[in-house]
Amino acid sequence: MIRREFDLEDQDRKKIIITLRWTAIIVTSYLILFAKGRVTDLYLSYTLIMVYLLSNVLLSFLPKTWFSNLKLFYPLVLFDTGIVSFGMYLSEKMTTDFYLVFFLIIIFASVSRNFKLLMVIGGITALLYGCLLYSWGLLTSVESSSYTLRIPFIFIMTAFYGYLVQTLTREKRHALTLSEDKYQGLFENAHDGIILLRTPQWQIADINREVAKVTGYSKEELIQKEVFDLFLPEEIEKVRSYFEEVIEKGKGRADDLSLRKKDGISVEVDLSTQRIDLGDESFYQMIFRDLREQRKLEKKIRESKRNLEAIFDGIRDQLSIQAPDYRILRVNRAVTENRKTSFMELINRKCYEAYFQRTLPCENCPVSATLHTKQPANSIMRIPADNTTLQIFSYPILDDKGDLLSAIEYMKDITEEQRLQEQLIQSEKLAGIGILASGVAHEINNPLSGIIGMAEVALEEEDIAKNKGYLTDILNCAQRISEIVRGLRSYSRAAKKEELSFVDLNEVLEESLKMVRLASKKTSVEVIKQFQSIEKIRANVGEIQQVFTNLITNAFQAMNGKKDHLILSTRSFKDFVEVKVSDHGMGIPQKYLGQIFDPFFTTKKPGEGTGLGLNIVYRIVTKYEGTIDVESKEQEGTTVTIKFPARRVDV
Amino acid sequence: MKRKILIVDDEEVIRKFLKIHLAKLGYEVREAADGEQAIEELGKDDFDLLICDILMPKKDGWEVVKEVKSNSKTKHLPVILLTAKNEDSDMFKGYDLGASYYMTKPFTKAQLIYGLRLMFNDSPEEIRI
Repeated sequence: MIRREFDLEDQDRKKIIITLRWTAIIVTSYLILFAKGRVTDLYLSYTLIMVYLLSNVLLSFLPKTWFSNLKLFYPLVLFDTGIVSFGMYLSEKMTTDFYLVFFLIIIFASVSRNFKLLMVIGGITALLYGCLLYSWGLLTSVESSSYTLRIPFIFIMTAFYGYLVQTLTREKRHALTLSEDKYQGLFENAHDGIILLRTPQWQIADINREVAKVTGYSKEELIQKEVFDLFLPEEIEKVRSYFEEVIEKGKGRADDLSLRKKDGISVEVDLSTQRIDLGDESFYQMIFRDLREQRKLEKKIRESKRNLEAIFDGIRDQLSIQAPDYRILRVNRAVTENRKTSFMELINRKCYEAYFQRTLPCENCPVSATLHTKQPANSIMRIPADNTTLQIFSYPILDDKGDLLSAIEYMKDITEEQRLQEQLIQSEKLAGIGILASGVAHEINNPLSGIIGMAEVALEEEDIAKNKGYLTDILNCAQRISEIVRGLRSYSRAAKKEELSFVDLNEVLEESLKMVRLASKKTSVEVIKQFQSIEKIRANVGEIQQVFTNLITNAFQAMNGKKDHLILSTRSFKDFVEVKVSDHGMGIPQKYLGQIFDPFFTTKKPGEGTGLGLNIVYRIVTKYEGTIDVESKEQEGTTVTIKFPARRVDV
Repeated sequence: MKRKILIVDDEEVIRKFLKIHLAKLGYEVREAADGEQAIEELGKDDFDLLICDILMPKKDGWEVVKEVKSNSKTKHLPVILLTAKNEDSDMFKGYDLGASYYMTKPFTKAQLIYGLRLMFNDSPEEIRI
């Protein structure tokens, strides 16, 4: 840091200079006009005094800032020295009162110097004057006492003016000393580069650590250099006009200039320069900030904002951001396109008013849940107006403290999806019927063979007694076929039913078992039924039958014709009813357990399984708000547990 | 010397009328109700023809054919497969395994005779369609 000394304020400087000159004018006038041996040429004397007087009056009109300028200060000292010397000459007092000239110079000098220096100069002047008087022999003459007194007088006057300067500036000195220390700390530790510049050459007086870090130059390399050397040569004109502006206004900013580092690479900076006074000098303090990081960050923020907006608008489902009072803050393009409206028509309206024409939030609104719990939520809503089904998800947006700022509402039109799901269930049902049909065909073909075969035998037989036995066989076969057909009828009846009814799960299990037996002919499987009396559930019989036939078929296939147990059990609990299908078959390998409910997942050969069975089971069970759980161990067996809520029971 | 035929089917009524038909046609007939019994019978005696159902408990028709064809003693025994399943894939599977003929249930006596004629070139005179 440069040596800082304190300067007077312009205002004080001007006051002191003018006061001093008044004193000088009075003393000079007295010496010329009234002192012993006064001037002979009165006309010239008056002119001289008038000129001096006028000059001081004129001086008082000059702006105060000029008084810190040495260009004014030195001519002033010269002018005053000339006038006073000429006055001395006129009054022929050059020898005796010439000390005034010294005196004046000293006083003027003191205005811009410090007190200690002033006292030193005062002492030297007094000594010189003493020597002068002594050499002229005046100290030993008659009037020696008067001359001897003048020496301490000079010293006292110096001290007096010095004291005046000191007093005027003391207050400020104190305040500034404190702030200078602060400045020193700020200067060195600032994260911005700070360069102190001396005018008019814009030389670098001091730099802080950050400057060295950014530019790569050391402090020693930069001191005394012109600041222009730090900028890009091609921008030098711009830099000069910037500093001209700074001079004009006292300060200035620029963010379009670049510094040139020691290695030649340019650094974009944000500049701000202003005048500051430190000690007895004025500096321009140039602060700059490296804009690279900031620009990079700004670019990143802009990009990520653009990305997010693109994603937000690009999502084909309807998205809106809502305030905690359901006011719509933002919507994506899908909202305005789907609803054929504009952003301005939706903004700040309540979601339930704008979207659903309601006066209160919807009963199962997931946003309400999110507003209360700050957790994501979702629900399915049927919109009777346009016969659509919406799945609505909501997600919270939290601030840093974890308080809820807003919620995102994500509306997905699942009408089509649901229709396809219904279709899938339907087509799987048809596939099931196909499998059943081929099973049934097999079941029927056996007794049919018996009928045809025995009929032909009977035709060729004349013996009536023998024929009776053949006809009995034919009858038995026909009755078997009749039974099978009767069983089929109940299946087709259930499959046709669309409406919901109260379904006895035990009954459906029994029927499903019969059906599967028909289709698979695995007679060796021993079925153990552990049925409890359980409450009926409200469902579509056909769909529940589809669930059970799928599960029992799987179990039969898993047992692969080996003689084994299949356990069907039903149990009743407080809130739900439970159906268990458990086999001792081959089990499901651990790696497939996560996939078994996926559509089209199958381990069977093409043509043997659709891969839809368990998927349909899952869809149907969840449709009735039930749960399904599969436990399986390879080579040991599989247990499927289905639970349906029992709350719908009121028959 | 009468030709010996083994009938394998889990349906009693089918075995019954097959036996009557075949006996009238002049064959000596033995019966088995499942695959295991069939293999047992085949071990006891030499046969000229095997008529075998596919879907049976314990050991099904496919396995019986496989065993017959892999045993050097019975390798050349002609096999007629009977099935209630009416699928081409099953028929080809049967031929692949070495069956000589494939009959779908239900069938008439005439179809049975046609099959027998294919199996035995020197068809007996009484076999008429």
